[in-house]
Amino acid sequence: MNTNNNVYTVIYTAVIVVVVAALLAFVSGKLGPAQDANAKAETLRQMMSAAGVKPTEELYAARNAEVLQLYADNIREAYTIGLDGQKNGELSVSKDKIELISKLKPQHKAILAGGDVTLPVYIFNSGIAVIPIYGAGLWGPVWGYIAFQPDCHTIAGAFFDHESETPGLGAKIKDEPWFREKFSGKTVEWGDTPAFRLEKHAEATGATNAVDAITGATMTSKGLNEALNVWFKAYEKHFGSGAFFSMLGEHADSETINTEEE
Amino acid sequence: MEYISLFVKSIFVDNMIFAYFLGMCSYLAVSKNVKTANGLGLAVIFVLLCTLPLNWLLNTFVLQPGALKWLGPKFAEVDLSFLSFIIFIAVIAAFVQLVEMIVEKFLPSLYSSLGIYLPLIAVNCAILGGSLFMQQRDFTGIGEPLVYALGSGIGWYLAIVALAAIREKMSYCNVPKPLKGIGITFITVGLMGMAFMIFMGIQL
Amino acid sequence: MDKKLKETILNPILKGNPITVLVLGICSALAVTVQLKGALVMALSVIAVTGLSSLVCSLLRNTIPNRVRIIVQLVVVAMMVILVDQILKAGEGTYAIDKQLSVYIGLIITNCIVMGRIEAFALGNKPIPSLLDGIANGLGYGLILVVVAFFRELLGSGTLFGFQVLPSGYVPNNLVILPPFALILLGCIIWVHRAIDKDLQEN
Repeated sequence: MNTNNNVYTVIYTAVIVVVVAALLAFVSGKLGPAQDANAKAETLRQMMSAAGVKPTEELYAARNAEVLQLYADNIREAYTIGLDGQKNGELSVSKDKIELISKLKPQHKAILAGGDVTLPVYIFNSGIAVIPIYGAGLWGPVWGYIAFQPDCHTIAGAFFDHESETPGLGAKIKDEPWFREKFSGKTVEWGDTPAFRLEKHAEATGATNAVDAITGATMTSKGLNEALNVWFKAYEKHFGSGAFFSMLGEHADSETINTEEE
Repeated sequence: MEYISLFVKSIFVDNMIFAYFLGMCSYLAVSKNVKTANGLGLAVIFVLLCTLPLNWLLNTFVLQPGALKWLGPKFAEVDLSFLSFIIFIAVIAAFVQLVEMIVEKFLPSLYSSLGIYLPLIAVNCAILGGSLFMQQRDFTGIGEPLVYALGSGIGWYLAIVALAAIREKMSYCNVPKPLKGIGITFITVGLMGMAFMIFMGIQL
Repeated sequence: MDKKLKETILNPILKGNPITVLVLGICSALAVTVQLKGALVMALSVIAVTGLSSLVCSLLRNTIPNRVRIIVQLVVVAMMVILVDQILKAGEGTYAIDKQLSVYIGLIITNCIVMGRIEAFALGNKPIPSLLDGIANGLGYGLILVVVAFFRELLGSGTLFGFQVLPSGYVPNNLVILPPFALILLGCIIWVHRAIDKDLQEN
């Protein structure tokens, strides 16, 4: 057979491309749900680590299904807010249909542009509220989850992650537990600029809203500091000026009613 | 301002060779003398500059989740990002082939100096790597991918010409026999990489 | 035939090692060697891709039109890489590693070893030897990857596969983790390799 014939060449290429595309579409369709489940479980692990639901190692050792179950057992409610601090959406927390705002980059852009945002707030049964943060590190994005005590002023825990910070330097924000543990007990001063300081020698000032930057990872720390403050600013109207507590008030009422019924 | 920062960063900080090791194969193979290094470097800049924005357009309007919205609301859910590797490499290979044919036909003198490098470029990781980084970074607007392509192309060009110059001089040196050739070249590139690290953390 | 087969398998691992002798596939080789785990997954991915694409191209070898040969090869290789990437993303245990390897999995497409073996071997040989040739070249590549990663993780973090190996008093050497050191280490591996095997020395 003459394989150098024009018609043959065109038909051959077309057939190969169609076969390959069909095969890949099939595989991607089959594996898609498993990939989404992995991504979702990863986000949940990081959030629950910040909220202190379980120790980080245990969360990372748990299988996806267990992580989903744990979240469903511990979450009270999840909703989204706009930059005005008012609620603008609900996120489902039922086990079969857990909704998350896991793509933080578009939200980050919208915050900077001052446009429409749907910033998530996750309230756990313990009364701890978890919010995400996102920004640019040295090589790529850095992000994390900050958990607040029910007073919405004291940090209960934090978890940070990154895409490609230098291992052993910037990557410490994820790899070294002591770094995220330093955040517990610190405060966020809503309304102040900056609301939080992650800087060199910041702890020496004695301020409760300050954590020392990581030595040798100046750019990553700087990026993380900016990420924290940009996102804290976006949540300021919600946590800082009573919008959150007025909502919480409604809840407290409904809970009292429940107890009375019991 | 953002563009200048991106430009400088992609040349020096995110250097394709020293920070990401992209395009190493041809970098090591074609850096024996400055003249050929010059030719390959220019070809890389050119191909990056053309394929990266092209792939950005494809990624934004066809591949990424929800990219097909412009076809109608029915397509808003379509996610073709699993095809991105294959589309990117096909664009690069087709473009290189096309340029080769055009240059050969209309600019024979350029072809004789640049043409031999073009086939090498289709499988140069720096080109595909540029497109993959572009996808990962979610550039907004066509300006950013253009500037990024130009910057990383120039970074690659600088790296290969500098190495070629050093290797030309090094041929007079007395290097231990087992280290001669490729061994010492690796170590040289490593040292150059360390020198480039002083740019880390600059911000404009 | 047996001897030839043995040669096919052993040569790429030692004398014709794709990285240290032929200097192919360096691009993705160095960036993923900070930790052993990532290097191992990368090595296995490359072995799978080289083996399977050599097999498929060898099966198709008599039907591929010569003019679009390169494109067809690229399509086959890209397909294998996408499959590997999708499978890594879908596995519960491998998801984190896939994220860590980021774009370097995609860059297996332009790893010269894959295309090089298809051009040089698979297009002229039967499917089974082609599969073995692909796997052996992947192994030769993976071997170097693992050796480099071993030293970088040991000296740079004091750990192996994430477990503390060196005494806790050891101060990790941050230089080892940074990109330039991978090149220097590879230079030294080539040095040792060529000091042992004098045939490989350049003049």
